[in-house]
Amino acid sequence: MYNAHIKLINYLWILLILLTLFSAYMAERAPPGLLSVSIMAVVLAIKGRIIVDYFMELKESHIILRTLMRLYFFVIPAMIILVYLYPEQIAKWTAL
Amino acid sequence: MVEIVLRSPAPSTKTHNIPGNMAIWAAILAEMSEFAIMFIVYFLAKVHNPALFSEGPTKLSTLAGASNTVIMLTSSFFVVRAVIAMRENKPQTSARWLWGAVACGVLYLIIKYFEYEWNTAQGLSAETNIFYAVYYYVTFNHFLHVGWGTAAIVWVIYRLNTDIYTQEEHEGLINIALYWHMIDLAWITIFPLLYVIR
Repeated sequence: MYNAHIKLINYLWILLILLTLFSAYMAERAPPGLLSVSIMAVVLAIKGRIIVDYFMELKESHIILRTLMRLYFFVIPAMIILVYLYPEQIAKWTAL
Repeated sequence: MVEIVLRSPAPSTKTHNIPGNMAIWAAILAEMSEFAIMFIVYFLAKVHNPALFSEGPTKLSTLAGASNTVIMLTSSFFVVRAVIAMRENKPQTSARWLWGAVACGVLYLIIKYFEYEWNTAQGLSAETNIFYAVYYYVTFNHFLHVGWGTAAIVWVIYRLNTDIYTQEEHEGLINIALYWHMIDLAWITIFPLLYVIR
């Protein structure tokens, strides 16, 4: 059981590193646009979910803590996309 | 005669079990809220200054940002392996994994120091424009968290070496592990916001 768990953690670590290298590649090469911003948001959501569920071990734990922590990595990626799509409207709503 | 035995329901581990203790979760949620406020400031500053936030990341070192992301994720992995080793009653193995996490924390701080030096050589500072003001405020705040988080791991290693933790009772180790993962979560959010998204 421990061996299977260790194997899973090892694979998740490799996946996190690959996602980070992919992000760095996007930063240097991909043209700015909705597609690249959306991909970055999804990559952040996946990385956050892996750490919350498996590294912090909240997948099988307290429902409120799990929900709050998972929510963080829905809201921030959603904000990234919304700020890209509607910058002028958000600027208008938040102007002093 | 029928005997009725009343049993209290077994607690559901899926809904009630808490990794670590409530005190560390109060700290983690407070810290996550603090970073959330910084991210809201970032988003607001970005919509009001789109050109500066589009140009800003291009002058930062993607290599330094990506390297530190790999280092933070690796340190989190080491911390998870340390907790697993402790559950297997291998405190010395656990300490070795934790030293790996400490090395990552120190390496992160060194890279961040040289990144700031490199920025200065490029003529960038917190006063350059609002993008760099946000960049320095957020990243220096995170820098401090990595600093005291690394010191906390060293403290846990000391307690591990003095046999204070056992296979059954090592809540202090789990608390610091959770706190370190929180620092990692903050960084994986900072990296795309400040270095990647134009």
